[in-house]
Amino acid sequence: MTCIELQESLADVELGTGPEQQIHLKTCPECAALVRELNAIICSAAELREADEPSPRVWNCIQIVLREEGLIHPPRPRRSLLPSFDAPWGWTRWLAPVAAALLIAVGAYVYQHAPAQVATNVEPVINGVSSDASIAGLNDADLLQEAAKQTPAMKAEFEEDLRRVNQYIHDARDVVAANPNDEEAHRSLLEAYQEKAMLFDLAMDRSLP
Amino acid sequence: MSSRKVKLLAIVGVMVVGTVAAESHKEYRFNVGSKARISVNNPYGSISVKAAVGNVVVVNAVLYSDKVEVDNTQTGNHLEVQSHLLAGADADSGRVDYELLVPADASLTLHSSTGPLHAEKLHGDMTLEGAAAAVDIRDVSDAHVHVKTLNGSVMLKNVQNESVEVDSLSGPVTLDQVTGPLVQVISTSGRITYAGDFGNSGEYRLTSHSGDIEAVVPESTSADVSARSVRGEVHDDIPLQPKTHTWFPTEEGKAFMGTMGRASVSSTVVLRSFSGKIHLSKRSAKSQ
Repeated sequence: MTCIELQESLADVELGTGPEQQIHLKTCPECAALVRELNAIICSAAELREADEPSPRVWNCIQIVLREEGLIHPPRPRRSLLPSFDAPWGWTRWLAPVAAALLIAVGAYVYQHAPAQVATNVEPVINGVSSDASIAGLNDADLLQEAAKQTPAMKAEFEEDLRRVNQYIHDARDVVAANPNDEEAHRSLLEAYQEKAMLFDLAMDRSLP
Repeated sequence: MSSRKVKLLAIVGVMVVGTVAAESHKEYRFNVGSKARISVNNPYGSISVKAAVGNVVVVNAVLYSDKVEVDNTQTGNHLEVQSHLLAGADADSGRVDYELLVPADASLTLHSSTGPLHAEKLHGDMTLEGAAAAVDIRDVSDAHVHVKTLNGSVMLKNVQNESVEVDSLSGPVTLDQVTGPLVQVISTSGRITYAGDFGNSGEYRLTSHSGDIEAVVPESTSADVSARSVRGEVHDDIPLQPKTHTWFPTEEGKAFMGTMGRASVSSTVVLRSFSGKIHLSKRSAKSQ
């Protein structure tokens, strides 16, 4: 066995205990010294681990610091701010943020792209923004269904709010159609959509049971 | 006193005692760092936030029944306070009224369906929202204010150097001495009232679908103003220097556009409505 073969064998066989290793170690003082040092390190490491193992209190402190740094979070048994899919009709509460994002995206798209398109062909753009239900994947019935769970007064308020905001969108569309190059008109349409998005967001209040 | 009156008083007394007994008061204290983030989510009830001295947050909560609990979670510099509705809770029994004292530089997120929501003497970013929540913000500066409400009234008073965004569906919105780089109000049917000088170099956009817009400014105001109502009326009591170039037809009674005061230090003001009236007027000497 050569010195290299011995060093490679140290990983597989317990340090210096194999018959071939013993023969080599008797004749090679350098490898014998290496094995002695490795054995010393192994013994010291085991002692160190027993002596310096942190107590559970240390781990708790580390955990607290990590929590304070926001790197880990404690389990939260309380209700999440996010709507649950498990709750009855819980999925409907996702409609509001999704709808809001979609409506704003559609409004922003119309706001940015409509003037050039409308100048040549008004109707497709107007029709494009008219069917917000199909674009956003929601319709007014969803909102009314959610509103029906509220008190009669609140329900009436939501219905009236919905009527108002739909009228806003309708009027804004008319103005865009009449003044396709009017940047303010497009901005108004975007704002009308924002209002509707807010209505859906707040009507399907995520904080309510 | 007749026995009937005595019985009546006794019943009223029992009811009062019962109500008081059902209420409970809780106080929590948290140490936070500078620019702490504080969120309060309260389905039913008020939230009032004021500035405190030092880096401590004090939460006082009045719970109106045992069908609601207060959950607090502090993660580093972020504090979340949540009213946790238990089974059977409704708008009355689930109500919690909060009063918070927070460091003045804390940023806030307040949510309550019923409100009211109140914040004062702060200079951190704040978002206040709620379907029917009335919102009242006073004496804040150097941050961003965002308000969203459906039917609640909105009052912003002495809000300086702030970016302000107010979205309201039908509640009235009042801005009194509000200035900033961007002040924007969008309302569907609520009335918008602005009283102030429009600052020095900001952008002020007040938009309503059917609500009226009233702007009352002092004589020293400098601003580029454009106003337009598609189907409503527009009035201005202030002589404006007309613009040489306008980007929309300024039909008499429907729109106007011009500069008041010194153009070099003026803000941009856009007042826009579909069917509401727009009125720009000078603040009377008596009210100044």
